[in-house]
Amino acid sequence: MLNYELLINIWFVLWCVIWAIYLVADSFPLGAGMLAAFLPKNMAQTIQAAKSVGPFWGGNQVWIILAAGGTFAAFPLIFSKMFTFLYIPMMLLLIGIIMRGVCIELIYQDENRELQKIFRYGWAIGSLIITAVLGVAFSNFFRGLVINANYVYEGTLLGLFNPHALLGALLFVLFFLTSGALWVAHKTSGELSVKCKSLAKKTSIGVAVAALIYIIGLFNTDGFAVNYNAYPILYAIPLIAVIFALACIVLAVKKSNRPFFAFLANLGTIFFGAATGVVTLYPHILKSSINPEYGVSIFDAASSELTLTLMFYAALVFVPIVLIYQLWSYTKFKEKIPENA
Amino acid sequence: MIEDIVLLSRLQFAITVFFHFIFVPLTIGIGIIVASFEVKYWKTRQEKWKKLAQFWGNLFKINFAFGIVTGFAMTFQFGTNWGRYAEFMGDVFASPLALEALIAFFLEATFFGIWLFTSHRKPALKAISMVLVSIGTMISAVWIITANAFMQHPVGYTLAEDGSRVILTDFVALITNPYMFYMLIHTLLACFLLGAFFMIAVSGYHLLKKSNVDIYRTSMKIGICVLIITALLLPAQGMLYGHFVSQVQPVKASAMESVWESGSELPLYLIAFPSDSQERNLVQAIGIPYLGSFLLTGDPRGEVTGLNDVDPADRPPVAITFYSFRIMLLLGVLFILQALAGLYLLRKDPSMESPKARKYMKLMICSIPLPYVAIMLGWVVAEVGRQPWIVYGLFRTSDAISTVPAIQIIFSMGLLILFYLLLFCLFLYLLRKAIIAGPVVKEY
Repeated sequence: MLNYELLINIWFVLWCVIWAIYLVADSFPLGAGMLAAFLPKNMAQTIQAAKSVGPFWGGNQVWIILAAGGTFAAFPLIFSKMFTFLYIPMMLLLIGIIMRGVCIELIYQDENRELQKIFRYGWAIGSLIITAVLGVAFSNFFRGLVINANYVYEGTLLGLFNPHALLGALLFVLFFLTSGALWVAHKTSGELSVKCKSLAKKTSIGVAVAALIYIIGLFNTDGFAVNYNAYPILYAIPLIAVIFALACIVLAVKKSNRPFFAFLANLGTIFFGAATGVVTLYPHILKSSINPEYGVSIFDAASSELTLTLMFYAALVFVPIVLIYQLWSYTKFKEKIPENA
Repeated sequence: MIEDIVLLSRLQFAITVFFHFIFVPLTIGIGIIVASFEVKYWKTRQEKWKKLAQFWGNLFKINFAFGIVTGFAMTFQFGTNWGRYAEFMGDVFASPLALEALIAFFLEATFFGIWLFTSHRKPALKAISMVLVSIGTMISAVWIITANAFMQHPVGYTLAEDGSRVILTDFVALITNPYMFYMLIHTLLACFLLGAFFMIAVSGYHLLKKSNVDIYRTSMKIGICVLIITALLLPAQGMLYGHFVSQVQPVKASAMESVWESGSELPLYLIAFPSDSQERNLVQAIGIPYLGSFLLTGDPRGEVTGLNDVDPADRPPVAITFYSFRIMLLLGVLFILQALAGLYLLRKDPSMESPKARKYMKLMICSIPLPYVAIMLGWVVAEVGRQPWIVYGLFRTSDAISTVPAIQIIFSMGLLILFYLLLFCLFLYLLRKAIIAGPVVKEY
């Protein structure tokens, strides 16, 4: 049997992995949604973009419910505090999720021009809200929240939207736009595909610039580098992220006729970029910017040994099954989508 | 101040959960029927089954699009508004939710995408995907009702030494909670009844217009068969459910029947007007001897604890619970009559062209909101009747909230209400248009 402390640590790793998978999996549906606001020149191209993610976005989105549900099951106290401290951002996220989901699913439903326009911009705005709120939320987690010794948030609502968090939101937007542009470029043919390729060239460079400023800001934040200094081997993670980011730029610019490879490189950047941030959270998830001692530690928040054990085995069985059938589903929709399908 | 936040949080939860539940029963209720049509087409390749699958599938799709995403609201609110509840219950309550995502949501969402974007040129993939979606919706019901059943009748747990939270001790007890089985079967039957009702009304609309009669006669027939079965099973199963409730939640049971004074051999009053403030029924008349005791306990001479023998602080709002339960029962009786009438007309004339049949179909179109109302009232009985407890006998609703500034709750609730109203109009517009359009559905 696994001992309790090890289980809690395993659940921290699972928590990180599930969130990272979510960010990777939803990056291109959200990116496709955001670029749908300005890139397609007409409705036919908008629908082309929608169809490129149509069969997949719903299944990919479930990873965020698993991430939230997993937080709730493994660390109830952290779940409770996370959502309470970020009350307004979470409500915005909820509205973004509903808006995006309804609009993308129904955009093909109706021939009514006006309604199609509403769905198009609803899809785009919903995607933008989700992406921006995720950026703001994770930036606040990475920097630490104003939490006092009694687990009470002492900051203000405006404090959540500090400049660094806004830069985080911009970074997420650029990341996801790159992801979405490369995916749409890969899945479609014609003018839209060409436009997406050229957008991806710009945004992938934008990602590198924004990420550089963002990460310098983080390493200058008190307490961010503690785990890195304690375990220098962790520096491998941001290093891999940088390699993926550079590979993405090179592939997007040099191999723009094969956007799929740049797309994979960008997913790699997102995964390891997320990992770069979350390893600094240990052992807190919710860090305190007042005093490191005040953070909500995973050891204080963990569920019982029985619950953690059960959920660990459930995850061990079902996560691979889900990954297999989700990856399999991509093989069912291989044809490129033409403009007037 | 705290009372305000409790009230606001409850109101917000009620709004979001009821809005979500507009979409859930139809998703479950016609999902299984759409899946049958898909399988039928796959096996026979007859055009008729394809058209049925396309038409009902299209309505299913609209419903599903709204249903899935509005369900996020509840998960979020356990953290945003019910933080103390999340901390108290997380160890037991959250595993079913996480398992629901892991086992059911992924299945429904992934295969819904595949089903939607697969044309009928690949009928096997299309059919299997829809079957998996339908199975997913039902597995999802199992897990969420497992979680809810624990709130009604906690099992398989122990309290932490400081009483600050519940700790899971027996997972098998949690997932075999008898309350879960009663509630699950009741809910699923209600969903199938609503699906059948919806099919009858929509098929009736097209039969009245005499458009595509061959297709809609088939769905009319299926609708009436499902309706008669579910309408008869629901009260029978509901009575057993009621007996179980009076064993484990005696106060809720007394409130459902508005029994104030303890006693045995209680009559059932057909007319009663309970008053919470005066702690009695203002009027009660036309008592049917023994029926009250029988409905609550299964024994005509059964002993029932009256509400006046319960501390007022432990009573639910009696009038709301009582009226909701009563109206639900009346609607249940009405559904049986409507089912029998449908069956009679169908057997007499399967073409449903007689003037009486036409009147019946018009009536059914007007009755469409009724099963929705019945289901909502059923949930009111279950959840308001559970008050003042959020976890029955263990944890009070008033202790369960997050301390969020009231202004933030008001802001988010205002935003949600506005947003939901827009969505609801959109839903009705699209659904209506799709119903009127009939079985001409384009495929992606």
